[in-house]
Amino acid sequence: MENTHHKQSFWSKYVFSTDHKTIGTQYMIMGMIMAGVGGYLAYVFRYNLAFPGKSIPFYGMLGPQAYNAFVTIHGMIMVFWVGMPVLLSAFGNYLIPLMIGSDDMAFPTVNMMSFWIFAVSALVLIASFFVPGGAFGGGWTMYPPFSAGGYLDPNPNFFKALFSGTSLLILAVALELVAMLMGGINFLVTTINKRAKGMTAWRIPIIVWFLNIAAVIFMFSVGPLVAGAFMLLFDNVLGTGFYDPHRGGDPMLWEHLFWFFGHPEVYVLLLPSLGVLAEILPVFSRKPLFAYKTIIYLALASAFLSVLVWAHHQFVAGIDPRMATFFSIGTILISIPFAGIFLAFMATLWGGAIRMKVPMMWAIGFIGLFLVGGLTGLFLGSNTFDIYAHDTYFVVAHFHYTLFPDIFFGFFAAFYYWFPKFSGKQLNSSMGKWHFWLTFIFFNGVFFLLFFNGLAGQHRRINDYSSFSLISREPYQTFEQIATICAIGLMLTQFIFIFNVVKSLRKVKTGVKNPWEATTLEWVSDSPPPHGNFNPYPEVFRGAYDYSLPDAEVDFTPQNTPKA
Amino acid sequence: MDATLTTSKPNISKAVPDGVLAMIFILFTEGMLFAGLISAYIVNRAGAMVWPPADQPRLPVEVTGINTLILISSAVVLYLFTRRVKNTMAIDAKSTNLLLVTILLGVTFVTVQGTEWARLIGYGLTTHSSIYGAFFYTLIGAHGLHVMVGLSILLYLYFAVKKAANFEIAKNKIAACILYWYFVVAIWPILYRLVYFN
Repeated sequence: MENTHHKQSFWSKYVFSTDHKTIGTQYMIMGMIMAGVGGYLAYVFRYNLAFPGKSIPFYGMLGPQAYNAFVTIHGMIMVFWVGMPVLLSAFGNYLIPLMIGSDDMAFPTVNMMSFWIFAVSALVLIASFFVPGGAFGGGWTMYPPFSAGGYLDPNPNFFKALFSGTSLLILAVALELVAMLMGGINFLVTTINKRAKGMTAWRIPIIVWFLNIAAVIFMFSVGPLVAGAFMLLFDNVLGTGFYDPHRGGDPMLWEHLFWFFGHPEVYVLLLPSLGVLAEILPVFSRKPLFAYKTIIYLALASAFLSVLVWAHHQFVAGIDPRMATFFSIGTILISIPFAGIFLAFMATLWGGAIRMKVPMMWAIGFIGLFLVGGLTGLFLGSNTFDIYAHDTYFVVAHFHYTLFPDIFFGFFAAFYYWFPKFSGKQLNSSMGKWHFWLTFIFFNGVFFLLFFNGLAGQHRRINDYSSFSLISREPYQTFEQIATICAIGLMLTQFIFIFNVVKSLRKVKTGVKNPWEATTLEWVSDSPPPHGNFNPYPEVFRGAYDYSLPDAEVDFTPQNTPKA
Repeated sequence: MDATLTTSKPNISKAVPDGVLAMIFILFTEGMLFAGLISAYIVNRAGAMVWPPADQPRLPVEVTGINTLILISSAVVLYLFTRRVKNTMAIDAKSTNLLLVTILLGVTFVTVQGTEWARLIGYGLTTHSSIYGAFFYTLIGAHGLHVMVGLSILLYLYFAVKKAANFEIAKNKIAACILYWYFVVAIWPILYRLVYFN
């Protein structure tokens, strides 16, 4: 503190940086590394499903225990260590200060600590593969008795139980949630207190609104999960019996506490990506965003409904049928605000001068794929259908049709769109198009046929169907093989992206400030934005989506342009 | 916490200071944590045949009742501290002493709780003796942990206030830190009523 004139060292500039852009980039890189780990796990167990009993290239033989652990940790990684850091932390850290015209987050040091706690949580998760007994394999939802069953022992050996796959997974998730909470508080305080002059509530870009709504949903729902997670940890290490019916506990309690967080969590993941669409669609259709305020009200309505739907995951777990009807209705109701948001997006495209650039392709691909996920969700939301389809590949295909476009299409749309801003360089667009089309085709190849496998009765947690003649019959085994081949194709396709990024980063900076001719404040800053973001700081005079104004000379009017 | 802002930086008028706002969001999350614990407890108790289980020791209602009064009085003293610094717009020895009294009352609360825990464990109420014990130690332990965090925050505030010796410099810190203690005190009577009275 006394020596303020020192030059930033390598460590303080790139590693323990408090700059929101560096932290955003760190989160993104960490998320992409974890996506690689999660993808590798998916490759191994998909290979096993298509060719059971064969040795897997780059892995070897996969036993049933390891299969379960791989499926479990794949789900955990993709939700908590890819979706959350990339959609919430990377976008939020990078974009919020730039888009509201601020120099940094409200609490830069807390922000830095948030990333490093997240990094530790990822290490704890990976470490859980290497403890005796291996990583936890009872499904990413961690239902007892699987998650407490191995240790339903009134006097467990504390340290043995603490260094088990189950306990380490609980600890890793707890640390991750702490990191996200620190980030979320930072988002809210920054957005409320650090806006540029003139940036009133109804001029804030949708993505900033949505990131903040996501942070509030997260903060509302995470407490009960942490409570439940500590009780689960105590069942493991202290021998309490919270989830053990023999000792007066109840395993259903965990399901309620978990899904009270778990279901709102999908909207925490969805809202940032929808925000990305709201930024990209007007820019590439040269039209103002349709129904700006209505979109925000719809998102607030969905945030409210999101905490009233959790038990639709428990229709077969033995809940009261009257309660099941209530949750069915809530679940189907929540599709209304999201349908409204998607309708507003399509109305934005309607009659626009569409520029089919790479970010726009990802955005439109997102809408198309998410529709399939959303519509199959309507079926599952009805408890009568869910009782039939529960825990089958129909459910697996459904949530991959929602989460894959959400996490990956949303991320790639954002990445291709903002890459010129955070590097000062442009990505190769024909490689981008190859990347998009191959990802789009292979993704459908993996999951579309699995809907049929699910309806035929294939259960999602079986590693080898060959001993179940009724559900391993043709064509379903062929479908499994097609899905696996497409999954391998999907993963290989991502190397086009990596190659494109590496190649583009080695180019000379073009330094173009506003390549897409967009109106929001981040495009006012230099590319890449310097430490402190703006010089001088912008003043805001208008809303975020002033495209093709009738009396303007060009078809975009940035937010810092004074009104005539 | 706030860096001095140069005129070129965005500096909108803040209705609520950063630290207070962050504390409100933290307490919102903490409130939901306790809501989760309390609802788990209520649901479990409602489903139990006999509550508390016949072979388990009873909880010390009277001692804890006095202890509750001690905790509440700590919040009253903390209120007197804030009223004094706001009225005088200054920080003097008398006001910092009020803060010290708050901390000492908090320490007393934790000490009494700790000795009661030791006695209960001696009587055979442990985390694995019954679900009754498990819930008791989890709920009351979660609160106790928050009291200790609250005490660390107040201790930090005590030294920060002494060092600043200036109301204008310290006022945002005071506003944020006292919120945490009020939360810790406010949640206790609810837990006392729910857990100790059956």
